[in-house]
Amino acid sequence: MDKRMTIDEVVDRIPNGAKVAIGGSSISRKPMALVRALARSDKRDLTVIVDVGGPDVDLLLGTGSVSQVIYAFVGFEVLGLAPHFRRARQNGTVDFQEWTEYTVMAGLDATIKRVPFIPTHATLGTDVPKVNTAFREITDPFNQEPLIAVPALAPDVALIHVNYADIQGNGVILGDGHVDVLCAKAAKNTYMSCERLLSSDELQRFGRDVQVLRVYSKGVVEVPWGAHPTGCAPDYRTDLRHLQEYLKAASSDAGWQQYEADFVDVNHRQYLDNHGGAEELVSRLKV
Amino acid sequence: MPLAPEFSVDEVIITTMARQLHGEMLVSSVTAFGSLAAHLAKRLYAPDLAVLSTPESGMDVTPMPTLTLGQFLTDVQQGIPLTMEDIFDAIFTDHFRIWINPSQIDQYGNTNITAIGDWHHPKVALVGSRGIPEDTSHLSETFYYILNHSPRAVLAQVDFKSGAGNGESRRGLGSHGAPTALVTDLGVFSFTGPGGTMAVNSLHPGVTIEEVQERTGFAVYVGAGEVAVTDPPTEEDIRIIRESDPLEVRKLELMSGPMAAEKFVNIYERERQALHATYPRVGKFGRP
Repeated sequence: MDKRMTIDEVVDRIPNGAKVAIGGSSISRKPMALVRALARSDKRDLTVIVDVGGPDVDLLLGTGSVSQVIYAFVGFEVLGLAPHFRRARQNGTVDFQEWTEYTVMAGLDATIKRVPFIPTHATLGTDVPKVNTAFREITDPFNQEPLIAVPALAPDVALIHVNYADIQGNGVILGDGHVDVLCAKAAKNTYMSCERLLSSDELQRFGRDVQVLRVYSKGVVEVPWGAHPTGCAPDYRTDLRHLQEYLKAASSDAGWQQYEADFVDVNHRQYLDNHGGAEELVSRLKV
Repeated sequence: MPLAPEFSVDEVIITTMARQLHGEMLVSSVTAFGSLAAHLAKRLYAPDLAVLSTPESGMDVTPMPTLTLGQFLTDVQQGIPLTMEDIFDAIFTDHFRIWINPSQIDQYGNTNITAIGDWHHPKVALVGSRGIPEDTSHLSETFYYILNHSPRAVLAQVDFKSGAGNGESRRGLGSHGAPTALVTDLGVFSFTGPGGTMAVNSLHPGVTIEEVQERTGFAVYVGAGEVAVTDPPTEEDIRIIRESDPLEVRKLELMSGPMAAEKFVNIYERERQALHATYPRVGKFGRP
């Protein structure tokens, strides 16, 4: 089946109020072209599910698209805190549920395995279960020891970005897989952008690097630089320069409006042109 | 090996961190200090360590000519690519070590990277607990470092427990994940004081116990007898640290704010040029 679609066709398939899981990790391999399209759409009241969030979560908070965030981390790593996340947390304008890296994985895995929860020792002894009302402390029926029951996380939609894909929706991830495969398997509908479409024959040469299997994907979009400004190993590095500009822009209303005009409310081609075009990005970021 | 005639505080901290690592473990290198400690340990103190790249998880990565800030990919680094499942399975089976740099650590070794103030109405929302709860419920050794020992960072009680320390936090949890060591710019601390509280192990050369007390938010436990002095780095330690980090990424971790971020971006760009000169890009199948 040919699953090719456009960025806008992906966004059309995401309803208001959808639970959207986003792959990648902080400033690595985030499906930013899809996220930007979602951010400039009129979609609202989204629940965003991330393991390690960064500019993806922050942008969707900045454009007011989100009513709930489920996260283990949201930040810009070496560059500092995520400005809209920080503001929304401090002002209490959005519902936040703090999970942890493994418990997000376990919640997705519970959905995949069709069980209501997965038990773990993780978060015992911390304050996470005190603020995360989704978790329950339970007693191990075999040894009568306390455990945390991590409930299933069931995304309606997963958005991921991969290096290569074929038109049937198989996806190659060359670097760290992060939680993309878990998102793809757990979500009802998974949409994948890729740096480049390859033939299915070419894709098979990548062996185990074909991490996303086509039975899990509903749509595939070819979007070169689709993770920018986050990095996409081994094709390009994170654009720290752009992220610096993002952080500056987000520090004032006027700056943020200008940022949205230049880099959010534009299609992907225009987005690249506003960075001086793909050639300029190659010269700065290509590994 | 003779003692180094001159060394800086970052080199004392990194060397001290390196000397705590041992065995055949996956070692995270998510920060400049953590990365340098892991590489130094592998060279001199614990040759069986499997050092991870960052942020892409590759194992047994070939050390690069500069300290990489990430996005230097497992195929370029010739490492073994890992998945998140690999990382967490290594944590759960106690084959993983990490030096964690918390925003706050308290007298029981509870740590906070989530929020300053009340979680529901934070004064400053930080980043979220990330994977610290997994570490503090599973690893038989957990390591922490703080570069600027102050009463705001090393305090009686953390505002939020992202990581479980000793005392109350251990109830129902057992000993796995309990805090092992804290290294700061003043000294090395363990959690072997009364009730599992923080105790002085050694002070870095020139540091006094009064200074530690002044810069700590609670009364620090000092055992009987003379307080030990941290073994300073050797010339070889210092040579390896400086060779591994010629662009001095480690110095940035000692700073903060917009200036540091800007310097970081500049180094990141210089690093790419340095790496390109050493490793011309070759694709997965040897294709340029």
